[in-house]
Amino acid sequence: MDATFVDLLRPFLKGAGDVDITPDTHLLELGIDSMQSIELLFSIEDTLGIALPDEALNETTFATAGSLWKAVAAQLPAGTVTA
Amino acid sequence: MSPDAQDRTVEGDRPAAGPPASGTPVERAARVAEVTEQHVVRLDRDAAFPVEALAELRRTRLLGLMVPAAFGGLDGSLRDVVDVSEALGRADMSVAMIFAMHCQQVQAVVRYAHEPLRSELLPRIAAGEIYLASVTTETGKGGHLRSAEARLHEDGSRLAIERVAPIVTGGAQADGFLVTMLSPAAESSHQVSLVYAHRSQLEISGTGDWQPMGMRASHSLPLTLTGSVPGHQVVGEHGAFHEIAGNVFGPVAHLGWSAAWLGTAAGALSRVLKLLRSPAGRERFDLRSELLLTRLSRSRQRLDGVHALLRHTLAMVERQESLAAANSQLLLNALKITASEQCHAAVEDLIDAVGLRHGYLKDSPTRLELALRDLRSAALNYSNDRLHLADGRLALRDQGVHFA
Repeated sequence: MDATFVDLLRPFLKGAGDVDITPDTHLLELGIDSMQSIELLFSIEDTLGIALPDEALNETTFATAGSLWKAVAAQLPAGTVTA
Repeated sequence: MSPDAQDRTVEGDRPAAGPPASGTPVERAARVAEVTEQHVVRLDRDAAFPVEALAELRRTRLLGLMVPAAFGGLDGSLRDVVDVSEALGRADMSVAMIFAMHCQQVQAVVRYAHEPLRSELLPRIAAGEIYLASVTTETGKGGHLRSAEARLHEDGSRLAIERVAPIVTGGAQADGFLVTMLSPAAESSHQVSLVYAHRSQLEISGTGDWQPMGMRASHSLPLTLTGSVPGHQVVGEHGAFHEIAGNVFGPVAHLGWSAAWLGTAAGALSRVLKLLRSPAGRERFDLRSELLLTRLSRSRQRLDGVHALLRHTLAMVERQESLAAANSQLLLNALKITASEQCHAAVEDLIDAVGLRHGYLKDSPTRLELALRDLRSAALNYSNDRLHLADGRLALRDQGVHFA
């Protein structure tokens, strides 16, 4: 997960405090509800200049930071991903 | 002659331009939809027939979707007709309806035409050379399918046709017509024959203008057809059109139209969602608004309901040998009535959701006002009132209420 992505997530994870955001960070348990997940999606799409395909917009994708990052990374231009 | 009909050649056939396309029916439909999108605004404004989309339907061989492989067709199923009609509806309802109605005609030829008409006609439909129009309306009986007033006359081995029709979709473009007429020996108005007439076998005169509220690109003109055809061009048996109506026209129309309407409303919803999710849309609309979210939900809910009913009815038609049972007829009619109402209502929900600028103005990329005008015809096109009367009688025949 790159740093820009983690910074995007942080404002949505008030419940996480100062805890490190890792691929296993469970987004739902840390308070991202269905409306916030839409706003997070917009934030990601605007900042990174990508669009996630409809089929990626499901609960599994938004389950953890890692699963969301996987869907995001798939849309980033090749060579820009720093795991 | 209507202006559009004047420049037709005597032969009247338009060869399919370009090499035939490949791919699944839905992949082919995507190419037709793309061409449709390029012209949709102009065709609505001018109330003009979508000649570009028709050319693409010819080129992709989708005009021959229902033609068996033995005659060179795509050997498609009713499921393919539903899928393609829905896909085309997402771009434009007129094009989707034109396609669905053509498939209905082709299916009648496939199932009921005798030799040598079958072998003459089906390879040419498969090759994209023949777009078929339906002539079932008649002044005085409206769209009532199973009766007729103008009589076919036997003239030696030929059948003489003289027929006035108040609405013939694509009449100026069609290469052939399936016409309902009173059978030569009919003793009642319900002994109806279906007869095929090639354009070159008819004198065709336009007798009016086409300026409707919606469905403007369907270019459904009043026409007068005069001519004669060989006796073998009767489709099915003389006086037995009711069989074709029950087994082909009814089911294919209700499934194909409902798919076209669902596609129209689904396309509208999709364009609205794209707008709302765009950066400009998010500035304009409050996506946390509970009213907006509820309206989006209602619209989607209606379409999921129609989709489920459409697929359930399709499965019944595929499964059952006969559709004569009261509950089968009731389900087919319920699909048409429900789809016509719910697809229209879903677009109204969307208009309320996005308001005047994007719900009511012609230049909005949502095209909601066009979808609403087009979908307004759905309840009138083979009127829901008439279907309710039939359904009331059918309901009385099923005391136990056995769902199909």
